Amino acid sequence: MLAVLPVVGVSGRWLLYIFLFFIYLSIANMWNLLCGYSGLICLCLPAFIGLGGYTLIIGTWVGLPIPLGIIAGTLVAAGFALLISIPVFRLRGIYFAIGTLVVPEALKFIFFLWRPVGGALQGGGAGYVLKTAGGFSTTDIYWLALAIGLGSVFLIRFILSSKLGSGLAAIRDNEGTAATSGIDVFRLKLYSFVIAALVTGMAGTVFYLRQAYIEPASSFSIMWTMIAMVSVIIGGLRAEVGPIFGTMIVVLLHFLLSRYAGYNLIIQGIILIGVMLAAPQGMMGFIRKTVGYRSLLQLASGR
Amino acid sequence: MIDFAELLTPIVMGVLLGGLYALIALGLSLVFGVMKLINVAHGDLVLFSSYFAYATMTFLGIDPILSLIMGIPVLFVIGFAIQKYLMNRAFGISMEAPLLIAFGISLILQNFQQILWSPMARGLTTPYALESFSIGPFRFPLAYLLNFISALIVVLFLREFLRRTYLGKAINAASQNKRTALLMGINTGRVYAYAFAIAMATAAISGVFFGLTFPFTPTSGVSSLILAFGVVIIGGLGSMLGTFIGGMILGLAQTLGGYFFSATAQMLILYVIVLAVLAVRPQGIFGR
Repeated sequence: MLAVLPVVGVSGRWLLYIFLFFIYLSIANMWNLLCGYSGLICLCLPAFIGLGGYTLIIGTWVGLPIPLGIIAGTLVAAGFALLISIPVFRLRGIYFAIGTLVVPEALKFIFFLWRPVGGALQGGGAGYVLKTAGGFSTTDIYWLALAIGLGSVFLIRFILSSKLGSGLAAIRDNEGTAATSGIDVFRLKLYSFVIAALVTGMAGTVFYLRQAYIEPASSFSIMWTMIAMVSVIIGGLRAEVGPIFGTMIVVLLHFLLSRYAGYNLIIQGIILIGVMLAAPQGMMGFIRKTVGYRSLLQLASGR
Repeated sequence: MIDFAELLTPIVMGVLLGGLYALIALGLSLVFGVMKLINVAHGDLVLFSSYFAYATMTFLGIDPILSLIMGIPVLFVIGFAIQKYLMNRAFGISMEAPLLIAFGISLILQNFQQILWSPMARGLTTPYALESFSIGPFRFPLAYLLNFISALIVVLFLREFLRRTYLGKAINAASQNKRTALLMGINTGRVYAYAFAIAMATAAISGVFFGLTFPFTPTSGVSSLILAFGVVIIGGLGSMLGTFIGGMILGLAQTLGGYFFSATAQMLILYVIVLAVLAVRPQGIFGR
């Protein structure tokens, strides 16, 4: 049904927000995978997003057709994840968090300095413009985002019900015990890390496909992490539908406060703190505790 | 051939800069040492102090260092409140909760400052901040020397405080073993709040000196955090001396990196070093 929207001629502004919703949703789902299900407080998602976006856009400059660019961006992000996983997984807990925080910041500087293609700078910074649209209309881009967003939801469901999912849960609860039970901790962490990189990388390429302009500060910005974090926390860490609710609220806030970008984020920060203190399980946790939900469950299970 | 005489400038500047970095890292180190919490909002809180000083300078015409008379209490109270009302509760919720809450604070601060002051870079420009002094044939920015001296003063002051006063010893005790401290009659909740507040007071000082030395934007907080974290990592936890030396190592790395490579590569080199130290020896050189 959502796929039909662009064809039906819904206004561009709505499309933009729904587009953002799906992009944010996929990123939020991945953050949930990493933090909620695997216990990895990962702050390096902007690295994957930025890398995906840059690969796509630079690809258009070297004549790489856009579909290949998207795939390339995804793979670059995943490859990078593989690369840094070796040093980064030696870190535990908070050290891991800060280590992953540093990575996008470092990338930001690298991309400030590195100008692989093109002569003059566009926009006075180290920015790049998408060279050709390659026949991708806004509608196509929208559908791509839809696919990624929904795909991420199904991916999470698939992972959770698989052996990978149980293994990750074991690791999250107690890494030492998990290792003793014969779980290859490093490999499982690596899987979820790389999967997250793949999806966020792809989301990054599609986002920048639409925006058609990329520069280091915003692409590797910590804002991506904030958006994912707030979405997941509000909706419910570890809940499957948590990110969906959370992202809806986040996008709604963006929509309502679009003219007051700064206030929007302040409110999100306040909500984040409030939710953490009052309802750490987010909305889903809250709903789960209500009597109404429990009665529904009982009805559904036929008692 | 390396011109050693020319090398002296970045070396001296690096050491002096290290004082500033150590000062910034002190608050982070204190909070981490006592509460095992990495306050990811630390950088932004330091920036808050910079902006506060900027505000007093622009609207009241007060010299930034003098404005610390107001700045320190303000940040002290803010720190106390954050720990008492937010973090204390967060500790009981989950392991990730304090971190996420700190993130929330960081988010709020960054955007609050962005709204108030716009993303434009600001600086605490006072007449003496632009002065330079000379040792022999070389000239160095005066601000750097001021940073170093103030860092020394603060570090020594803090060390004596932690050793001699009751509160200081209580903080030490609570950081070593919370349960035993409780058994000995120490109100750990209040002690943590004071520790955080003291950390914020040092953040206030470092914020002013940071603003004197560098131009800052609302997003400078993140790089300050990484810097501070780098210092804490290299210097090791729980060691004031280690923090100081860690600061100098990073300061040297930055200035020498800027000398041998380019100015823009400075920060990148720092980040790479931080990552490297994290991967190789997370407990730092002096760490326990």
